[in-house]
Amino acid sequence: MRRPVALFLLGLVLGGCAGDASERGAVTLVFKYARILGPADPLPGLLREFEAAHPRVRVKGESLPWTSDEQHQFYVINLEGRSPGFDLMMLDVIWAPEFARAGWLLDLTPHLVPGELAPHFPSTVEAATHDGRVWALPWTMNVGLLYYRADLLARHGLEPPASFEELVSQVRRIRSAERDPALEGYLWQGKQYEGLVVNVLEAFWASGTRLLAEDGTVFPEPARAAEALGFLRALIEAGVSPAWTTAADEELSRRAFGDGHAIFLRNWPYALDLFEAPGSAVRGRVGIAPLPGRAGGPRGAGSTGGAHLGVSRRSRHPALALALARFLTSERAQKAIALGAALSPTREALYHDADLVRRRPSLPVIHALARAGRPRPVTPYYLLLSATVQPEFSAALVGVKSPRRAIADARARLDHFLGAIR
Amino acid sequence: MTRRRRAERRRGLLLVAPALLALVALTVYPGIWVLWLSLQHRVPIFEVSRFAALDNYAFLAGDPRFWNAARTTGLFTVLSVALELVLGVGAALALHGQRRGRRLALALLLLAWAMPSVVAAKLFEWLYHPAAGLFNVLLAGRPLNWLGDPSLALPAVILADVWRTMPFVAILCYARLLSIPAELYEAAQVDGAGRLATLGRITLPLLGRILLLAALFRTLDALRAFDIMYVLTGGGPANTTETLTVYAYRSLFQMLQLGFGSAVSVVVFVLVMGVAWAYLRLLRGRTVAA
Repeated sequence: MRRPVALFLLGLVLGGCAGDASERGAVTLVFKYARILGPADPLPGLLREFEAAHPRVRVKGESLPWTSDEQHQFYVINLEGRSPGFDLMMLDVIWAPEFARAGWLLDLTPHLVPGELAPHFPSTVEAATHDGRVWALPWTMNVGLLYYRADLLARHGLEPPASFEELVSQVRRIRSAERDPALEGYLWQGKQYEGLVVNVLEAFWASGTRLLAEDGTVFPEPARAAEALGFLRALIEAGVSPAWTTAADEELSRRAFGDGHAIFLRNWPYALDLFEAPGSAVRGRVGIAPLPGRAGGPRGAGSTGGAHLGVSRRSRHPALALALARFLTSERAQKAIALGAALSPTREALYHDADLVRRRPSLPVIHALARAGRPRPVTPYYLLLSATVQPEFSAALVGVKSPRRAIADARARLDHFLGAIR
Repeated sequence: MTRRRRAERRRGLLLVAPALLALVALTVYPGIWVLWLSLQHRVPIFEVSRFAALDNYAFLAGDPRFWNAARTTGLFTVLSVALELVLGVGAALALHGQRRGRRLALALLLLAWAMPSVVAAKLFEWLYHPAAGLFNVLLAGRPLNWLGDPSLALPAVILADVWRTMPFVAILCYARLLSIPAELYEAAQVDGAGRLATLGRITLPLLGRILLLAALFRTLDALRAFDIMYVLTGGGPANTTETLTVYAYRSLFQMLQLGFGSAVSVVVFVLVMGVAWAYLRLLRGRTVAA
């Protein structure tokens, strides 16, 4: 007789903790994510849909701070402080190994059905894998690509460039013929932040080298890395890219290109919807292509980005949180998100879905680019790596250091910090 | 000491105890904790935690990024505080001499001061925009690479900071000006003192104490400056705008080097305490003299 009463009381208390006392016994899942910009945020609708399918579950979507840096800070403080305040979390694609190694994520490997992740881009699965185990489900995809002014290239009888050397000569040719002093050549992101690392990595890959080798060596070929960095610097010195490239982030360069002030731009797929929006100065005049390689080198590849969904190891309802993650990464949900916002799915089949292609005709092309894309180094130390190389890369771009010196300095610092960890 | 006085003293101690306890819990305890952390190699998420004695400080002593951040912090502090004081006094004098529209001018000054620094930084991001920004439009044809040039980025950040915090100095000084009795000026006029003499002999000396106070507040803020450069430049290009607090933030929350990051924070703390102590001594000296 006593026991049921105690259990009832316990249920009351727990229910009270979870939120609404009127929903006794109900479970509240907290989902942390960054609000999706655009006319229609599809997420609230999807969360209600999940609730309808799980009558005793309430999902509270809580928004994260705006920038990736602040989101990371939020997670570090809360997870390191052992806060059980959330069950499911949106993760930047570069965090999964770090969070896994820190013991903050639930290992999803035992719960996965064989072949469950096969419909997703292999690179997104790779980014969620650490120590041979899967720690998060791929949610959204992103890939660096080259935008070009199709009208200008057509007027001068040019095809999108396959190599950077070709791009440089096209810029020279078009600018000398157009005689428009406000027309810049090639825009990319050179401000001292994560975006700079992405751009430099793409230059490394185009030159056939890497930042991190499989055995953990940083800058396995320092001379090649310095050459690639020097090439980026030369783009600015030669005026192919404007001087303000050293302060440019995605939005600054996207706006300049969108105002019709540049021939080429390196950016993510989100920009295309903005270029094609009514009232845009470049509407109907923009083409997309793979990022160029270097003459005689390997083909260029864009860096992949995007987000994963991971289940907090402190979640009191891990099975439900995983169910929510599965629902949000399902074909249905990813399609709804791709229809409502400028985010690309991680499921490859959706890039050829009739409804989606009608709404966003560029999807099949983006699919090919995303397939060829490469992830940034998949390592628990990625942020340490990035924060250390950012100022060095920036110093080489603005000419404060020679590229060789910048690479050597970055290596020395990384050896110190990684030595302390290993 | 009589019994009564002793009892009174005890009651007094009892009354300050809560405040004292709160201070200990909120500042002394975390302070000691950070000091303790700074003596360790600590990357908790990777389960690295061992005593390092002064290793972190030894690394800092030879760390060019640290010395660069220290130099940037110093330059930023000296230049921005100096400009704020000069412009602030100028604005206060102008305000004092103005007959009409004084309320409007005060409101406008307060607006800049009331703006959160992140918002002010965003505003300046637009002003510094390479093509469409006001500054480059004014420079018609010879645009400057404000935030991307290693020699311009720090001045650009200082300018934004001065714009936002100069009103603080101006309003403090203006309040002091209002309390200077008119007789003093009348007497000066009778004695045939010119405008410059009045300014140099009456106004500025009387502003001295409040100026020192304003300088103290501003210096302590500037030494810990973070948001304005964090938003405008992220510390770049080439770390030319990375202050000690930005470096500490990056070490703590991005690189997750809790021990090392704490060592940087301790240096900032010691710096701030040292400067505060020096100012307070100066202030006390002036009180005795006056």
